[in-house]
Amino acid sequence: MAAGEPHLEPVEAGYKHVLRARMAVFGAVLILAAFILDRVLLAPKGHGGIVAGAAVILALAMIIVAPQRIYRRLRYGVGERMLQVVRGWLFHTDTVVPLARVQHLDVVRGPLDKLFGTSSLVVHTAGTHNSVVVVPGLAPARAAELRDIIREHVQTDAD
Amino acid sequence: MSRPTPTEDRAVGGPERLHPLFLLKGLGGSLRGLGGAYAALAYLIVSGEWRLAMFAAAAFILVGGVGAILYWRRFEYRVGASEIRIDSGILSRRHRSIPFDRIQDVDITQGPLARALGIAQVKFETGGGSSGPQSEEGVLQAITLERAHEIRQLVRSRRTRDPQAIVEQSGEQHPVFAMGPKRLLTAGLFNFSLAVFAGLLGITQTFGDALGFDPLSQKFWRNVLAASAPLQEFALAHRAIVVAAGSVLLVVLGAATGVIRTTLRDYGFRVDRTDTGLRRRRGLLTRTDVTLPLKRAQAAVVSTGPVREAFGWKELSLRSLASDEGGRHAHLLAPLARDNEIDHILAELGWRPIPAEPRWHHVSGAYVWTFALALTPLLLPLAVQVVLVWPAALVLGSVLLVAVALRWLAWFRTAYALDEDRVLVRTGWWRRKLLVLPFERIQSADITENFVSRWVGTASLRLAVAGGSVAGEIIPAIPKAAARQLREQLLSSQA
Repeated sequence: MAAGEPHLEPVEAGYKHVLRARMAVFGAVLILAAFILDRVLLAPKGHGGIVAGAAVILALAMIIVAPQRIYRRLRYGVGERMLQVVRGWLFHTDTVVPLARVQHLDVVRGPLDKLFGTSSLVVHTAGTHNSVVVVPGLAPARAAELRDIIREHVQTDAD
Repeated sequence: MSRPTPTEDRAVGGPERLHPLFLLKGLGGSLRGLGGAYAALAYLIVSGEWRLAMFAAAAFILVGGVGAILYWRRFEYRVGASEIRIDSGILSRRHRSIPFDRIQDVDITQGPLARALGIAQVKFETGGGSSGPQSEEGVLQAITLERAHEIRQLVRSRRTRDPQAIVEQSGEQHPVFAMGPKRLLTAGLFNFSLAVFAGLLGITQTFGDALGFDPLSQKFWRNVLAASAPLQEFALAHRAIVVAAGSVLLVVLGAATGVIRTTLRDYGFRVDRTDTGLRRRRGLLTRTDVTLPLKRAQAAVVSTGPVREAFGWKELSLRSLASDEGGRHAHLLAPLARDNEIDHILAELGWRPIPAEPRWHHVSGAYVWTFALALTPLLLPLAVQVVLVWPAALVLGSVLLVAVALRWLAWFRTAYALDEDRVLVRTGWWRRKLLVLPFERIQSADITENFVSRWVGTASLRLAVAGGSVAGEIIPAIPKAAARQLREQLLSSQA
């Protein structure tokens, strides 16, 4: 094991806020849609408020509970030869990318990332499955550092 | 890929146009592209506006023709010293440059019309993930077959930078794999298909009303039978014979469909070794000529079915970065072959033969019962059916049983084995598949588990291959520790 799997570490705590903001936007859209549905379809029949209420509860759960949990399950590690990203609980995925197989690398900062001081490392591989592996919620300096470490290993394919 | 060209310092080659006969083909293409216009035309005809309809049709042909002419006028390609340049576009121009180094292969396709006219479509395969509309950019719609072969030869020789390679391999040497008429017929019989009935069903569903009869309604048959009373009496008297005759008809039609479809696609199937890859030619009406570069082969897939395997037949295809016709990433190298023929083709690729009896590691029985567990929600409608409409419950019940039974059969076959520097993954019972994947072609590996499998302690290993399916190559339901160990083994060879 020691040779392959790297030491896993959590991402920046700021990523929780990024997730929360993202969930809030999504939740707002959800509530709006539910509200319109309520008004148009259910209110005339006297069942108004059921769907909207459910949407509000779901959105609150998404904003309050989900970000901590997602954050807690998210771990990444860069070892001698491997990049490993572990995430999810109900559907848990543990991805390993050999550094030699990486095609190219991006460091991405979206508007939310800028707001909360994080950035994502995006690793492109040649595989059709997992063609893009993302390590989100990294400090910008750390993302750049990882990019440089991985770049060292990227082999230029002969053919 | 289209970079501005700092030309003059290297030869870019003289501009060339598509063959003028492209106009014939292009007109067809433009007419196909008009889409909604046909609905309008049909409406005009149905509503009896014949003159207007003819006028509109003439206008469409004119527009299509002018479109084709403009496209032809504005399309130029150049074959340079190290790249192909394509300048296209009627209003917005696109200047595309494809370096020879990036061209995986040159595909030549000829439809029936093109064959009669001696022209061919040429496609430059760049092997990028460009299976969208962008891939159209590397296509020369119609040039002479001769020029197509010249360009292909040129690209290949430039790619290898080996002057020897310019010598055209004569196609008449011994092929790596070929299918004679007898083999073709056998393959056709195995491709038994009742799809034609599905097609008829669809047509009558859609157009039955317009035709004024519906062959699928009872009334239609009752009327037919009423009109032929003696036949009706015969049918009632000899029910068994009618059923038997119907079944024979189904079998004959299904087999004929299979044979016809296979002949159209695989007639003259032939794989030859060239200096950079395997060249495959096939097709009765549309003749295709595709070369798979050896270096691009990612994994081999040997597939078969229970009946086929009983007769010792298998199909070989290769996963590849370059895409086959229709944009699929599997190159079919042998539609129907014996084990030794498959090993022979693999040997041409420089691969060892597939071991007959490797040490299979079977997957956990959770593969079956987690599947059965996932079906349990369907027991609720089943229970409702049993109470309310019990004959319907028989249908749903047997469907569920068959699904679980097939999964159970598949479980016996689902296994993986390590063969020195490659992994073999065997899956499926009805659609049997054996994947041969060299370790060095694994791009990444996931271990996935969900709330059920975690409870059981199993996980799935998903291996990503370039040109494989989006879901990856899955080894399901293996104990978690074994999954980790296997992943470690598979990836350890990577430098």
